[in-house]
Amino acid sequence: MDARVQDTTVKGEIDITGVNKVFGQGAAAFHALTDIDLSIATGEFFTLLGPSGCGKTTLLRVIAGFEQPSSGSLRINGAEVAGLGPNRRPVNTVFQSYALFPHMTVAQNIGFGLKMLGKPRREIEATAAEMLRLVRMEALAERRPAELSGGQQQRVALARALAPRPRVLLLDEPLSALDLKLRKEMQSELKRLQTETGITFVFVTHDQEEALTMSDRVAVMSAGRILQMGRPTEIYNAPVNRFVADFIGETNFLVLPVAQTEGDAAHLTLPGGKRAQALLPDGMLPVTGADVTAVIRPEQATIVEPDAGDMTATVDSAVFFGTDTHLHLTLSDGQPFVLRRQNRPGQQPPEPGTALGLSLAPGALRVLED
Amino acid sequence: MAEKGYSVRRLPGFGLIAVLTFTMLYLPIVILVFFSFNAGPSQAVWDGFSLQWYEAAFQNRQVREVSIRSLWLAATAASFATVLATLAALGTTRGGRFPGQTMIYALINQPLMVPEIVTGIALLIFVAAIKVQTGYTGMGYLVAAHTAFCIPFAYLPIRARLETLDPALEAAAADLYASPVQAFFSITLPLLVPGIVAGFMLGFVISLDTVVITEFVKSAGQDTLPTYMLGQLRRTVTPEMNAIATLFLALSLIIVTAFFLITRTRGR
Ligand SMILES: Nc1ncnc2c1ncn2[C@@H]1O[C@H](COP(=O)(O)OP(=O)(O)OP(=O)(O)O)[C@@H](O)[C@H]1O
Ligand SMILES: [Mg+2]
Repeated sequence: MDARVQDTTVKGEIDITGVNKVFGQGAAAFHALTDIDLSIATGEFFTLLGPSGCGKTTLLRVIAGFEQPSSGSLRINGAEVAGLGPNRRPVNTVFQSYALFPHMTVAQNIGFGLKMLGKPRREIEATAAEMLRLVRMEALAERRPAELSGGQQQRVALARALAPRPRVLLLDEPLSALDLKLRKEMQSELKRLQTETGITFVFVTHDQEEALTMSDRVAVMSAGRILQMGRPTEIYNAPVNRFVADFIGETNFLVLPVAQTEGDAAHLTLPGGKRAQALLPDGMLPVTGADVTAVIRPEQATIVEPDAGDMTATVDSAVFFGTDTHLHLTLSDGQPFVLRRQNRPGQQPPEPGTALGLSLAPGALRVLED
Repeated sequence: MAEKGYSVRRLPGFGLIAVLTFTMLYLPIVILVFFSFNAGPSQAVWDGFSLQWYEAAFQNRQVREVSIRSLWLAATAASFATVLATLAALGTTRGGRFPGQTMIYALINQPLMVPEIVTGIALLIFVAAIKVQTGYTGMGYLVAAHTAFCIPFAYLPIRARLETLDPALEAAAADLYASPVQAFFSITLPLLVPGIVAGFMLGFVISLDTVVITEFVKSAGQDTLPTYMLGQLRRTVTPEMNAIATLFLALSLIIVTAFFLITRTRGR
């Protein structure tokens, strides 16, 4: 907000380096955030994804200024903000509980930030009207929050946080209180608002599908650390470890012996004896003959004639999901395998006990660091 | 309710006890009010309807004087008590946890726990000492004593209200560039108003009603309505007392009703 010292090494809108957050002291000390390094670019839709208790809210509160980091540096638009309270940061938050002021009308709620910034009344009213239009709530400007539905309150909370035109908008699981249909609607609404305003969004969710569909980049967190950061396709296709692979989407874990390595790929021996190429994570050089864990997504194997594919399997059960069917299989060496097949008209699921051949898509198999 | 369901109503004598209890509670008051309209001077023989005792009460200069003193004292003490109770409630709910917090609650609520007569005697001795030292004999002592006595009654509704306020509201205000002072005056205080009004009213009624504290602290010529009435009752009792008591009752009822209405609509 203020023209504080501008750093020449500005990387992004938010630069977090080596941030730690410890609650409590001595034996009761709890490391909620450990060595967080993060750089978020201007205009980016950035998502923090992770299971409950992994520190997403804490990180958001550190950025907003409700918590001070125990160590490390936090820059917003190049200016160090350590020690500044939330009212002195160009960042607004959409709270999970919305936290709308119950004694104010919708319009007054939306104008609150500008009023506190000392803007003239005409400007406040004009901006409030514009924000109401943006979230399609023009008709309800004079209502009180108690007279709004959950989805409407959500929109007001968004409009209120957007009205002061913050550089960064922080959203803490803003959609978790909404039912599925409204949730889908608000997802595209949020995306539209972000594109229209060009404001940097830092979005918190524990819903991996939401993270994948909405974000430019995702950071997967666990136990106070960022495990992987990247575009949704990178996270989905190339998870760096077992936790990420397991948390994002469904996946098969296969324990397979290494037949041979070459560069960043290895040949693994599949059940039944055939070989398949698998990508290795950076810097990993497994010993020939050692067992490694490889992952393959359920949709990256296809059914072929029993002896034509890379592996053979028998069907345990088939679960119909509308657009596709999940086949629960057992490989010839006894490891379980889930396969997702898109449904076609007239196609029947295979009977339990049927023997199938499986063909793996090239590049689908990846070795994980454990 | 199911045929054999448990109901306290089925206990033998339950209805009778209920009726007796309510009779004990309200019959004496009904009789008091009834005889305030008696045309004759008796508390036992009905001589027909009249408002003469109300007239007499209004004509009585002393009654007017002590009534005004009572109202003034109650308003002043309740105001001070409300301000202090608001600060105490903020301190105990918004200051974060601190060592001895439970102790503080107990100390704030002293008047609810220490017998009034003990407080009264303690104040008598204390105030007497100050009077001797300073020579000051004004209303200050009564105001101070009533204020202290009213604080817990004002504190309870204010604290109850504060505890229902989502702390995220204050966080949201800070996030939207409000300084702590601005956040307090634009968010916390307006949302606290129903609790503050309720606290004031409760304090007002308590101050209006208290006899013991006043009796021990007051200097000559500082009678309040209750201590004046008590003094009069030691002499002859005319229905004029009934009329004054009835008016007093009406005032208390109005305030208590308002209190309930305010606390009931506090959701807004
Ligand atoms: N003020 C605090 N004092 C002590 N521990 C805290 C405090 N705030 C958070 N924690 C702890 O830090 C950890 C991370 O909490 P956080 O609220 O950031 O989780 P989260 O990822 O947002 O989880 P959820 O998805 O359930 O909201 C939790 O184990 C929590 O108990
Ligand atoms: Mg959280």
